Amino acid sequence: MTQYHTINSRAPRIDAPDKASGKAQFIDDLNMSDQLHGAILQSPLAHARIVKIDTSRARKLPGVKAVVTAEDAGLVQYGVSPARYDETLFCHDKVRYIGDEIAAVAAVDRETALAAVSLIDVEYEELPLLLSVEEAMKEGAPLIHEDYPGNICAEVHQEFGDVEAALAECDIVRTDTFMNKMQNCAFLEPQGCIGHYDHRGYLTLYSSTQTPHYVQRTVAMTLKMPIGKVRVVKPYVGGGFGAKASANAMEMVACLLSMKTGKPVKMVFTREQVFLQARGRHKFVHTLTTGAKKDGTVVALKHNCILEGGAYASFGIATVYYAGSLLGGPYKLQHMKYDAYRVYTNKPACGAQRGHGGVIARAAWEQQLDVIAEELGMDPVEFRFKNMMNNGDTSCNDLYMSSFGMRECVEAVRDKSGWERKRGTLPRGKGIGMACGFFVSGAGFPIYRSETFHCTATVKLSEDGGAAHLYTASAEIGQGSDTTFAMITAEALGVPLNAVKVSSGDTDFGVDLGAYSSRQTLMTGFAVKHAAEDAKRQVLEVLADKLRISVSDIDVKDGTVIFKGPGITFRTIRNRYRKEHRGWTDMPDDAPLSFAEAARLAFIVKGTVIGQGEYRPRWLGGKFKGAAVGTSPAYGCSAQVVELRVDMETGQITIDNMTDAHDCGFAINRTSVEGQMQGSLLMGLGEALFEEVKFDQKGRMLNPNFGEYKIPTALDMPNVTPIIVESNEPYGPYGAKEVGEGAIMPTIPAILNALYDATGIRFHELPLTPERVYKAIKEKQCEAKAERGRK
Amino acid sequence: MLIPRFEYHKPSTLKEACEIKGKFKGKAQLLAGGTDIIPNMKKRIILPDSLISLNGISELKSNSVSGKNRCARIGACATVSSLIRGKFLLPYSALLTGLESLGSPLIRNMATIGGNLATARPAADLSPSLIAYKGKAILCSVAGKREVSLDDFFLGPGKTILNDDEILAEIILDELPACTGSGYIKLGTRKALEISLVNVAAVIALEKPDGVIAGARIVMGAVGPIPLRATTAENLLMGEKPSDGLFAEAGKAAAEDSRPIDDFRGSAEYRRDMVRVITVRALQKALHDIR
Ligand SMILES: Cc1cc2nc3c(=O)[nH]c(=O)nc-3n(C[C@H](O)[C@H](O)[C@H](O)COP(=O)(O)OP(=O)(O)OC[C@H]3O[C@@H](n4cnc5c(N)ncnc54)[C@H](O)[C@@H]3O)c2cc1C
Repeated sequence: MTQYHTINSRAPRIDAPDKASGKAQFIDDLNMSDQLHGAILQSPLAHARIVKIDTSRARKLPGVKAVVTAEDAGLVQYGVSPARYDETLFCHDKVRYIGDEIAAVAAVDRETALAAVSLIDVEYEELPLLLSVEEAMKEGAPLIHEDYPGNICAEVHQEFGDVEAALAECDIVRTDTFMNKMQNCAFLEPQGCIGHYDHRGYLTLYSSTQTPHYVQRTVAMTLKMPIGKVRVVKPYVGGGFGAKASANAMEMVACLLSMKTGKPVKMVFTREQVFLQARGRHKFVHTLTTGAKKDGTVVALKHNCILEGGAYASFGIATVYYAGSLLGGPYKLQHMKYDAYRVYTNKPACGAQRGHGGVIARAAWEQQLDVIAEELGMDPVEFRFKNMMNNGDTSCNDLYMSSFGMRECVEAVRDKSGWERKRGTLPRGKGIGMACGFFVSGAGFPIYRSETFHCTATVKLSEDGGAAHLYTASAEIGQGSDTTFAMITAEALGVPLNAVKVSSGDTDFGVDLGAYSSRQTLMTGFAVKHAAEDAKRQVLEVLADKLRISVSDIDVKDGTVIFKGPGITFRTIRNRYRKEHRGWTDMPDDAPLSFAEAARLAFIVKGTVIGQGEYRPRWLGGKFKGAAVGTSPAYGCSAQVVELRVDMETGQITIDNMTDAHDCGFAINRTSVEGQMQGSLLMGLGEALFEEVKFDQKGRMLNPNFGEYKIPTALDMPNVTPIIVESNEPYGPYGAKEVGEGAIMPTIPAILNALYDATGIRFHELPLTPERVYKAIKEKQCEAKAERGRK
Repeated sequence: MLIPRFEYHKPSTLKEACEIKGKFKGKAQLLAGGTDIIPNMKKRIILPDSLISLNGISELKSNSVSGKNRCARIGACATVSSLIRGKFLLPYSALLTGLESLGSPLIRNMATIGGNLATARPAADLSPSLIAYKGKAILCSVAGKREVSLDDFFLGPGKTILNDDEILAEIILDELPACTGSGYIKLGTRKALEISLVNVAAVIALEKPDGVIAGARIVMGAVGPIPLRATTAENLLMGEKPSDGLFAEAGKAAAEDSRPIDDFRGSAEYRRDMVRVITVRALQKALHDIR
C-alpha cells in the first residue's frame, strides 16, 4: 500500500474554524456600500395571458431607481440544456406558474423595492389550468408552450437487446407501477446574489450557486454581454442539492438592474421564493416490467416513465434520460427498453436533485427485485450477488465499470447489520430490508455540447517558497471540496496541508463546470493533482540541475526534499536561502533540505512557479441517441440495510438503524466521505417518509416552508453505520470517484423493503406518511377478515 | 418576508401593560415569546399598529406552588423550557409531555405558556392538558382581575374570551387529588418541530387505589375549532374499573365526540381513527401515572 501523508485521513476541514465561529461569508453577509435592493414581481396566477403591464405607479414611488420588464430585458431564450431553452428573463405574453417572473424593481432599500413591486399593475386573462400530467396530455389540452405539442417537453425511446423476445423466455415476469411526489431540494441557505456592473463595463455577479461557469454563460447570453466581461464569484454556499446548479432569474435580474442603475443590486430569496424557484425532484410515475429466470437471473426490463416537469424544462431533458439509463447498472441486464415522457404543467419547474433522475426509478426497481427474489424463494442478498456487475463489465447501454466494489458493499452491509441473524426473525411491526445503488461519477459531457476542458486548476508557489496557492473555479457548497482539493495539492506537491491555500468558486480562476453530477472529486481532483505535480516537477528540475543529479533521484514528502542517493550536499542552496531570508524566524538549519528552499531556488532561477492541470474525460462510448446522459468516467455503487419499526395502530414509522456501504474508489478525506453518506441517508429518509410539495386547485403551493414541508429532524435520524469501500478507480485521482449523490440511491428502497418485512405490505406511492401506512394496514386487516369470513 | 412597521412598547409592570393595552385595545398586540405572532406578522395575517412586549415584566414570569390547597400558579410569560426545568410541574405529567413535545429546543426557549393559550391554535400542545386539569386563567385589565375556567377560554381558532383590553396574567392548576394520573399523546408525522395531526390529554382519578374511576377528563386537540372535551367517553368511564376493554370503548366514544376536518395535512377519517387509538393510549398512560 502506498503511504500517504495527507489524503485518506480524517483531516479537519479547512473552512471549519471560520464556519464554526460565524466568520465565513455567505451571500447574505456580503454588502456593498452603495448597493440597491431588488425585488421581483411574480405571477399570482398559474396560467394566464398578460394583457397589459403598467409600471407607472411603481416608478413614481420615491426611492425607486429602476423598474424593468421584458421590454428592457429582451426575449433571449435560456434554460439549462441548449436543446430546451424555453425561458425568457421576464414573461411577456403569458405566465405559466405561480411565481413566474414579470417585472423587477431596484430601490434604495428592500422595503421600498417590495412596495414598488406591489404597485405594478398587471392585467391578466386567465387560461385553463393544467395541474397534472393527465390534464396536460389530454387530447386538445391547451399548450403551455406553443412549440411543444401535447405539452411534451421531451420524450425518450430506447431499446437495448430485444426486450419482448427476452420477456417471452422468462420464468417470471412482473409489472409494478410506482410513484413519488414533487420534492424540494430543501437546502438551508436561500439563493441570493449581488450584481455589480462597474464603470468599465465589467459585470461581476456574486451568487449562491453550485455552478459559477454555467451561470456566467447564461448571464452573458441573456444580457448580451461579451463573456469576457462577465465574472461570477461564489461566496460560501449553504447547500444546493441541484436547485442551484443552473442560473436563476434573480441572478440575471440583479445584473440587469445594476446595468440600468450603475450600482450594485442585492437580492435574496425568501423561503417561499426558494420553493417557487423549485427545480427539485420531479414527480415520476414508473411502470416497470422485469423478467427473470428460475435461477434468479434478471434478463429484461421494460420501463415506462412519465415525469411531471412543471412550467419549464430546466434540467428535465437530462432527468428524463437519467431516469432510464441509470437502471443499466449495477446488475447485468441484457435487454432494456425505455419509453418516457416529460410533461409540462402549470407548476414550478422541476429539475435536478441529488441522485438526478435515478432515485425514484431505483426505489421502484429495487423493491420489485425484492418481490421477484421472494417469489423465487431467494434471499435478497443472494439475489443481488447473482446479478451484480463486476469490474470491467459494460452494461447493455454502454456504461463501463472501470472499478466496481458492489460485492464488497453488499457483503459489508450484510455482515455489519447482522442481516443473516435478523432476516426473517423479526416480529410483526419490525422489519429489515436491503437495496443497492448505482450512480455516475461526473457527467461525461458538459450540459452544452462542447470540446471544453471540464476543469482547469492552477497551483502557484509563493515566491518566497513557503506556500502553495491553488486556484480553481470549482464550487465549495458545503460538501468539503476546498478541503479535498487542498489535501490533493498537499499530497501531490509533498507539502503539509497547512502550507496550501485554496481560492475557489470564481470564474476568473479558470474553467470548472461546478458542483453537480458528483463530478468534482474525480474531475477537479484530477486537474488539481496534475497542477500540483506540474509545480513540483518544475521545482525538482531546477534543483536537480543545480545539484547535477537526476530528477528521478529526488522526491518531496511532507515539506522536505528526499534524496534517494547518498551523499548529496546542498549547503550552497541552504546558504543562499539563509542569506536572502535573513532575520526570518522560520529559517531552516539542520538537514534535511526543505521544499521551501527548493521552491525559492526555482523562483530565483526561472521566475514564479505556476503548475497547471486540466481534465477532460476520455471518449466515453455510446453511439445511440441520448447516450451522453449516463456515460461517466467512472461509476459509484452502494448497498444499504435498514431496520425499522412500524406502529401498526397509527402507521408511524421509526427508522432504528441504517448500515450503509459505499464504493467511493478511494477516500481522499474519510470524514467527508462519511458526511456525504450520512447526508444522503438523511435526505433519502426524508423523501421516503415525509416530503411532498402540495398544491391546491389553483396551483398555489400549500406548504412552501419548513414547518409544513417536512424534512427530517435530528430526532428522526437513527445512528448510521457508514462503511467506506475502496475499489481504486483507475480514471480517478489516487483512485477516487463519487459519493455525493450515489449514496442516496439505496435508502428509499431499503426502507420500502424493510417496511414490507414489518407489515407484509408493498407500498407503491411515496411519501410513506403515517396516514398512507395506516390505511394500507387497515385495508389489509379488512381483507384478511373478509377472507376468514369466506372460509 | 419583511416584518411590517409597528410601534414598540416595553412596560415593566403588569399595571403599566394593562394601561397601554387599555389605551390601544385591538390596535395593539401583546408580544411574549414571539414565536407565533412574529411569523404571522411576516405573513401579514396579523398587522398590529403596535406591539406591547411583556418581557420586561418579572411578575408574569414567576411561578409558585402556594396556598392551603397547594395549587400551582404559573406566570403567563414562563417559557416552555423554564417550565420543563423547574420541577414543580412534575405531578402534571400530561402537561410536561406537552411542553417537551412543543417545537424544538430553540422554540421552547422562546415560547411561553400564555402565548400558547392566547394564540388559540386548535392544534396547540398545552391547552388540552391544561383544560383536562380544570385549569383556570387570571385575566387582568385596568378594570381589575377576573378568574375564568379554561373550559370556557377558547371560542374558535385564534379566538378566546380575552377582551381587547385584557392580558392573561396567570394560569392556576389545583393540586391533583390522590389517586389521580394524567397522560398526553401527540401524533405527528415527524419526531420534532411538528404540528399535531391529533392530540389527546387524559386525566383520571380513582376513588381509591385499585378502585373505580371517580373522575375523568379527556380533551382532544386538532379535531375541532377549539380543544374538545370527549364527554361521551368521560361519562362512559365514570364509576367503572379501568380495563383494556373499557378504555377501548372510551377510545371509540372519543372518536365519535371528535369533529375533525380534511385538510392538506391529513384526512378527517384518519384523524378520527387516531383519536380512538391515542385516547386509549393517553388513558393507559394516565392509569400508569397513578400507580
Ligand atoms: C417553528 C415553530 C414550531 C412550533 N411548534 C409548536 C408545537 O409543537 N406546539 C405548539 O403548541 N405550538 C407550536 N408553535 C407555536 C408557538 O410556539 C406556541 O404557540 C407558543 O407557545 C406561543 O407562545 P409565544 O410566547 O411565542 O407567543 P407570542 O407569539 O408572543 O404570542 C402569541 C399570541 O398570544 C398573544 N399573547 C401572548 N402572551 C399573552 C398574554 N400574556 N396575554 C394575552 N395575550 C397574549 C399575543 O398577542 C399573540 O397574539 C410553534 C411555532 C414555531 C415558530
